[in-house]
Amino acid sequence: MSSAVLERPSTPWVDAGRNVLPTGRSRSLELDWATMKPIDDAPASDSSEDNAAPDVPDASDDATTEVLDDVVETVEEALDFDEVVPTDADPRPLFEEQALPFIDQLYGAAMRMTKNPSDAQDLVQETFVKAYAAFGQFQQGTNLKAWLYRILTNTYINQYRKKQREPYQGTIDDLEDWQLGGAESTTASSSRSAEAEAIDRMPDSAVKDALQAIPEDFRLAVYFADVEGFAYQEIADIMKTPIGTVMSRLHRGRRMLRELLADYARERGIDSTRVRSTR
Amino acid sequence: MNDCGCDKAKRDLEEYLRNEVCRTEASDIRDHLEHCESCRSEAVLAVTLTEAVQRACQETAPADLKAHVLERLRAVKTDHETSSVPSL
Repeated sequence: MSSAVLERPSTPWVDAGRNVLPTGRSRSLELDWATMKPIDDAPASDSSEDNAAPDVPDASDDATTEVLDDVVETVEEALDFDEVVPTDADPRPLFEEQALPFIDQLYGAAMRMTKNPSDAQDLVQETFVKAYAAFGQFQQGTNLKAWLYRILTNTYINQYRKKQREPYQGTIDDLEDWQLGGAESTTASSSRSAEAEAIDRMPDSAVKDALQAIPEDFRLAVYFADVEGFAYQEIADIMKTPIGTVMSRLHRGRRMLRELLADYARERGIDSTRVRSTR
Repeated sequence: MNDCGCDKAKRDLEEYLRNEVCRTEASDIRDHLEHCESCRSEAVLAVTLTEAVQRACQETAPADLKAHVLERLRAVKTDHETSSVPSL
């Protein structure tokens, strides 16, 4: 598992980014003061800027607090809104340098999601455009790869999954283990090592087919854990589910995968495996 | 329930292999694996499956995808210069 180590860059853009928030805040504050005056109709509002605080009525204090709350809300809304934080410096070179190296990995995940190269490419493009637009919110020094995967997964769920004709799988987590079936671990260790050997010799296409055949949420959990090596907490963040759900999806997904691969081996006469199947 | 540590080891094997258990538990499972062949073969199987999935899922993005992405980013950048509203 190769995980790219991201150096914290010391580019001017990062420093510029830090200054954006306070500037935006004070500008909004002035704007709101202007609109507040006629409504409030408080003559003392001007003197409040001349250290004449004792003369300011309580109502004005409340108004100030309200305005500040509004401003804070506005700033927070803006941040939640995935909007670009305007900066003078160009974030693009930094974004390209840091995010583009993940393109192969993101494409691999997109392939497992959309199941075809054309949709996968569209999905990756959308992901990069969104990530670029939101890059001002990315905290340098945190896990960029996980951040990109979160955007990829969101984009996929919002734009692509809806279009697909797959049956709704949202309730699959509620199924009992016996309904899902699966290879039980009651086999002898000799047959388990035979199974391991068969899996080891399995052609990539068979593994991919098996992966595509399991329910999507299971497939993604397996992909994020096994291929990308994300920690449970990171997968939970990416898939927006509790860690317990991640573990359950991962275990069940892998068990189904094992069973499918055992079926495949049996069909192809790779006879070294004797795993009992419940099918 | 034959508890010689097998139940616990098998239950938490995946978490152990992924470094998702605490240090005490990890050392318990490690000790158990040393003595229990059955659990050891289960661990080998789990790792083999992970490796098979990793191997099968290696993808290289098509050569022109990177160029398309850069093109899109440039277009977004131009949009920002003309209007302050980002097109998401």
